[in-house]
Amino acid sequence: MPRFILPLLLALAGLVLFGHGAYIHAKALVAQVLLERAFTKTIATGRETKPWSWADTWPVARIEIKRIHASAIVLSGSSGQALAFGPGHVEGTPDAGEAGVAVYSAHRDTHFAFLKHVVIGDEIDVTRSDGRKFRYRADATSVVHFDTSGIDPLAGGHQLVLSTCWPFDALTPGPERYLLHATMIGSLPVSR
Amino acid sequence: MTTCDEIESDKSSARPSLIRLALFLVMQGVAVILVGFAALFLSFEPAWSAERLSAAFLKPGDARSGSLLLKTEEGYADASRLGIDVDLTISGPTVRARVTQIFRNPTKDWVEAVYVYPLPSGGAVDTLKMVIGDRVVVGDIKERQQAKAIYEQAKQNGQKAALTEQERPNIFTNSVANIGPGETVLVQIEYQEPVQQSGSEFSLRVPMVVAPRYNPAPVVQSVDFRPDGGGWGATKSDPVPDRNRISPEVQDPATNAPVNPTSITVRLQAGFPLGEVKSHHHTVKTEKPDASTSIIRLAEGPAPADRDFELTWKPAAEKAPSVGLFRERVGDSDYLLAFLTPPAVEQAVQKPLPREVIFVIDNSGSMGGTSIIQAKASLIYALGRLQPGDRFNVIRFDNTMNMLFPGAVPADREHVRRATDFVSALRAEGGTEMVPAMRAALTDSVGDANYVRQVVFLTDGAIGNEQQLFETINALRGRSRIFMVGIGSAPNTYLMTRAAELGRGTFTHIGSVEQVEDRMRGLFAKLENPAVTNLTAKFSDATADVTPAAIPDLYRDEPLVLAAKLDKLAGSVEIKGRIGDRPWVVTLPLANAAEGKGLSKLWARRKIADAEVARTTRQASSEDADKRILALALEHQLVTRLTSLVAVDKTPSRSQGEPLKLSELPINLPAGWDFTKVFGERPQLPATPTERRADADEARLQVAALKRAQPVVTPVPDSVKLPKTATDAELKMIGGVILLTVSLILLGFNRRRQMSLG
Repeated sequence: MPRFILPLLLALAGLVLFGHGAYIHAKALVAQVLLERAFTKTIATGRETKPWSWADTWPVARIEIKRIHASAIVLSGSSGQALAFGPGHVEGTPDAGEAGVAVYSAHRDTHFAFLKHVVIGDEIDVTRSDGRKFRYRADATSVVHFDTSGIDPLAGGHQLVLSTCWPFDALTPGPERYLLHATMIGSLPVSR
Repeated sequence: MTTCDEIESDKSSARPSLIRLALFLVMQGVAVILVGFAALFLSFEPAWSAERLSAAFLKPGDARSGSLLLKTEEGYADASRLGIDVDLTISGPTVRARVTQIFRNPTKDWVEAVYVYPLPSGGAVDTLKMVIGDRVVVGDIKERQQAKAIYEQAKQNGQKAALTEQERPNIFTNSVANIGPGETVLVQIEYQEPVQQSGSEFSLRVPMVVAPRYNPAPVVQSVDFRPDGGGWGATKSDPVPDRNRISPEVQDPATNAPVNPTSITVRLQAGFPLGEVKSHHHTVKTEKPDASTSIIRLAEGPAPADRDFELTWKPAAEKAPSVGLFRERVGDSDYLLAFLTPPAVEQAVQKPLPREVIFVIDNSGSMGGTSIIQAKASLIYALGRLQPGDRFNVIRFDNTMNMLFPGAVPADREHVRRATDFVSALRAEGGTEMVPAMRAALTDSVGDANYVRQVVFLTDGAIGNEQQLFETINALRGRSRIFMVGIGSAPNTYLMTRAAELGRGTFTHIGSVEQVEDRMRGLFAKLENPAVTNLTAKFSDATADVTPAAIPDLYRDEPLVLAAKLDKLAGSVEIKGRIGDRPWVVTLPLANAAEGKGLSKLWARRKIADAEVARTTRQASSEDADKRILALALEHQLVTRLTSLVAVDKTPSRSQGEPLKLSELPINLPAGWDFTKVFGERPQLPATPTERRADADEARLQVAALKRAQPVVTPVPDSVKLPKTATDAELKMIGGVILLTVSLILLGFNRRRQMSLG
């Protein structure tokens, strides 16, 4: 019998590890559903709506890239907790549609996994919590070190940066970030 | 050899077990995912339930005196306050004040500071200087909207900028943009003010604290009828439209140490040998370098800014100088400031008329503590001073109102006793609905011309709807005269002086219980003695623009203060009037005027106040009044309701910020500026505004950005720090699969061993 113990233990450990990994994905998936609901309500009521009662963040925008059918609800703040559920609006950067550089950040393996499919020229639509919608066009990409991003949030123009970890297929966290730069090409009619 | 055989013989049974294995894996996977989903709703770190905002954040407009609000992302964090330094130089008739506030930004973020503070209502603010680190920023006067726009623009550009705005003639707001982490900010305001004189006593008051105001809710609309009597009018919704900008929150002294240490230095050069110099609410040390000069400092070092500083001085001589004449030449105009105290003439011919006095006492919550004690003591003193032939009534108000008697009653012993009991029983609580009380006091139902009608109004003036009160006074004053008695350590002097001016009465201030008797005696001297009426000023040679245009009546011990702009300093000025029933004439030769400082500013400030009064009394349309105010303010560099001081630092705060300026201007950068190929190194991202779209669109968006209620977030890091955006999900899942596979292989191996053994 003792010879079963080792494989069983290994199986258990494997199960736990796999569970953790799956949990991260599950969280990301389920949260987006709840967030979508909360965001719809936010636009309708004009008030910050928490996706679930004990959440310490709330949806602030929706990013859509129609060509690749990608969509994600952006949360306020870019703490680790917020990023588990959706892309975060990086603190200290303006809202989308305002002058400056709005920065949204998300995990490369969940919400921003689609970034590798985005090509220059793609249109990115951002809907704000006040219902206003802005269209950006992807016009550059770059890879930077996380603390020397060179992004000045108060730079001129109306820009958007989507950021995630680089390289896309690496398994371990690293210091490099992939940035997709986009410039506003106009605001879209409000759809309520 | 046996092993080899065994392996071969085992091959046939390998297939079903593999299927079983796969099934097992699938089941495991499903279980894991189920566990994962379940865990989503169960296992959250405790930190998650924490409240989003901590209680340390204040609401905008929550500033009390001298408190600096730092706009951060989460709200407004109160910055540490290092101190206030007030430096006053009194030269003859004028006071030049330099108020320096020193603040530190202790946070790690770039911040915008919004700062609310009081100044004397007659003060002409003409200078704003700001020292940030080693940088001095000097303000320019601009129209208010324009100044605001300049400021917002600079703020977005990352430049340091400062803005001084007037909320009320005695409440100002400073905004300072882009203060770096750990930086110390010096805000310096300078203003000019005339010295106050009453009888032989000269005085000076420096407000230190914006008392919390009661702002009536816009429940009842007031109706605004056009003066032409056509019957058409407009309803006004909110009596205090700017309530957010002037309603500060009070710090509970029971739970907080006093803040805003203030040091005060007064250089008093009265121009005559000084007698008694007295500070009423602060203990001071006085140095006397010579007979007519004193240097006054606070005795116990800096004191918390929680009460007004009041200084009075008297001449050494028995009688104060009854005439003062000062001049200043600015541009090609001469400015003249004249002080003239009419003689106290005893009434010889006829007995003064009996009086009908309506006492109004404010017993709202803001009067709690020592204020209500002072108010009650003052009123009881006043009741004791009534003559048998007089009539009186008492009205008390908070957010409700009571009249002691249905109408004015004779001041006999019984009525006075009842009134004294009524006043003694008053307690301070509730809101401050001043307008209905004023309306009731001004209702002159009997209209008996054999009585002189006087309203004595005791309050701290802690309301935000001053304008409503002024309009009530203007509409209803009739033959009544209003005597304001300001109670407490920080009364609203703007309300007091303007209400007294509109009500053709006076303003008496009582700052402590000790002052009650002295000041009330002074007030009664004014109430009981005939006023100096029908005053006119005539210049013999010069063409003069005189303020006040219509000289108000003067009461006992009050000086006539006259400011004038002259085309030439020649000839004399003749002042005529009536003291009671006697004519009075004085001629002052202008050549004897002494050199004064800042008189032009005082003249302009006084003219602006005249225009504001004309606007309230509908003698001028608001457009005309505004036009006049704007012209005066811009010419004389003064902060008013319509003009602000704005200072923009030309040097950008951040070295990286320089490219911003170009981008904010509507300049198109070269088309085809392409960074697509730059993959990896991108040294100067801020300098890479990519291709542009239509100019019109850009401009519209920029205007929208300027108009936005909540301006761009203020912390300005040099470059955004990007969050960690990799999970170990894949790593864990791969690890898990490997472990599971290994365990399965081991299991299979074991089974085979068992089978072979069995």
